[in-house]
Amino acid sequence: MKRILVLFLLLALALPAAAQAAEVEFRMAPSSITINTFYNGTSLNVEGAVPVGADVVLRFSGAPEAVAMKEKGKALGLLWMNMNTLHFTGVPKVFLVESSVPLKDLGAVGDTLGLGGLTDKIGIEPATADRAMLLPELVKLKKSEGLYREAAGALTPGDKNGSLQAFSAKLPVPSRLSPGSYTVEVFAVKDGLIVGQSSQPMEVQMVGIPAFLADLAFNHALWYGVLASIIAIIAGLGIGLVFQSKGAH
Amino acid sequence: MSIPMELYLPIAGNSVNIVAVFGLGGVVGLLSGIFGVGGGFLMTPLLIMMGIPPTVAAASDSNQIVGASTSGTLAHLRLGNVDVKMGVLLLVGGVLGGSVGVQLIKILRAMGNADFLINITYVLMLGLVGGYMFFESLQAMRKAKAPKKAEPEKHVKSSAFARLVGHLPWQMDFTRSGVRMSPVLPLILGGLVGVLSAIMGVGGGFIMVPVMVYLLRMPMHVVVGTSLFQILFTCINVTIMQSTSNHTVDFVLALILLIGSSLGAQIGAILGKKLGGEQLKILLASLVLVVMFKILYELLARPDVLLAYIGGH
Repeated sequence: MKRILVLFLLLALALPAAAQAAEVEFRMAPSSITINTFYNGTSLNVEGAVPVGADVVLRFSGAPEAVAMKEKGKALGLLWMNMNTLHFTGVPKVFLVESSVPLKDLGAVGDTLGLGGLTDKIGIEPATADRAMLLPELVKLKKSEGLYREAAGALTPGDKNGSLQAFSAKLPVPSRLSPGSYTVEVFAVKDGLIVGQSSQPMEVQMVGIPAFLADLAFNHALWYGVLASIIAIIAGLGIGLVFQSKGAH
Repeated sequence: MSIPMELYLPIAGNSVNIVAVFGLGGVVGLLSGIFGVGGGFLMTPLLIMMGIPPTVAAASDSNQIVGASTSGTLAHLRLGNVDVKMGVLLLVGGVLGGSVGVQLIKILRAMGNADFLINITYVLMLGLVGGYMFFESLQAMRKAKAPKKAEPEKHVKSSAFARLVGHLPWQMDFTRSGVRMSPVLPLILGGLVGVLSAIMGVGGGFIMVPVMVYLLRMPMHVVVGTSLFQILFTCINVTIMQSTSNHTVDFVLALILLIGSSLGAQIGAILGKKLGGEQLKILLASLVLVVMFKILYELLARPDVLLAYIGGH
């Protein structure tokens, strides 16, 4: 009995996945992002195929985290101040969406795939908080930092091959990126329904000097602080002395 | 191949243009060399505009000031502008006062409305200090032109203060500053500035400079050098504390800033020497007032985004 149940569950899980994987596929380059000393954002090249006639939605998102924020409000009815502390949960660090047509033209599905669907999943403590006011503010803040984006038009359709239609896209990845595990997803949308989807993990890691400094700062904080001070003093003294010899003329 | 102009900052988690950061350091260093203030009030908001998280901007700025004030102190030492004895006394008072202030702010936070109090303190202090300095220097500059007149009212006030100060024990000479007073006075005043700067979360240069000028009666040029000397130690303390408790010091950012600002501070020290004491005071007063109005504006105008990040990472 138990075995049959497990088999049934496996089938139930595997069937839709198998059906979808056959319809949507993509490759991306680079397959992981390394942050070195001169990292200044990058672009992700994605090539793939979706069923003919379907619109494509490409998403780069990830590393949901809890964020503590202050809500600004009016004190004494006059002065803008940081007031209540709010705890947001499930806030992805990055949420970039690129679609073949603007998401709003995809109807209800478009909204779920974009920032609308994202904010529905974000939790706020305390529960009495005004979601309708706060969530757009959160999105506005993240957008101003270049971390959240909804864009259309950078997806170019390619050749048709049987029932599949190729596409390629160049997705700009912001410089304000922290290391972590992200996900790249491709959705095929047709007649207001998601007809196929596929996803691949995207690892972002620091290498070289940034990795060394971050390790020092987080794991040997006292040494880091002392060293930062000493080097600053030496640099200040050095520049002071150089200036003296120049100023002597 | 072009030379890479963008550098990724590991703690800030963003990349910045090296030239822009260097230039920003230079301008702020110039001000700090002229006036003996840290310049954090200017640096931090500009760094935030460049895409550095606010907490990282403030902490890295302290790290930067360590270097800039070393360079500035050295320049002023050479010019004979640092009263080390006075600086140490103010510093000891400041550290003690700072600890009291940190505890005070904890209590206030627990009671809520701490931010409100901080901002109000800010506006009042800056308005008071800036306004007083501005009009005092304006009067002094006018008086220098017009023939001298006796001012009986002010005499009574200052002599009352002087009598009180004269009664304090252990009178000693501060040769660099050319004043004679009890070490208790700078200790207490340093302590008061420490409390205020801990509450306001700033280096305290803005309050310390007027305190030295008006209450300790030190000459303006010695004030600037001594203030820088004192800021150096305050900022070492802040850098280490921020590194250990919040991990918000970005050393790469600080280093680029400080190379710019150390150069600026050297030029500032020379430039300050060329300007008269009253001119220096009135310029600093204007700067203080500009900052005051900026904070006041931020309090009154509706912010773009009604949310703000808090804490470290």
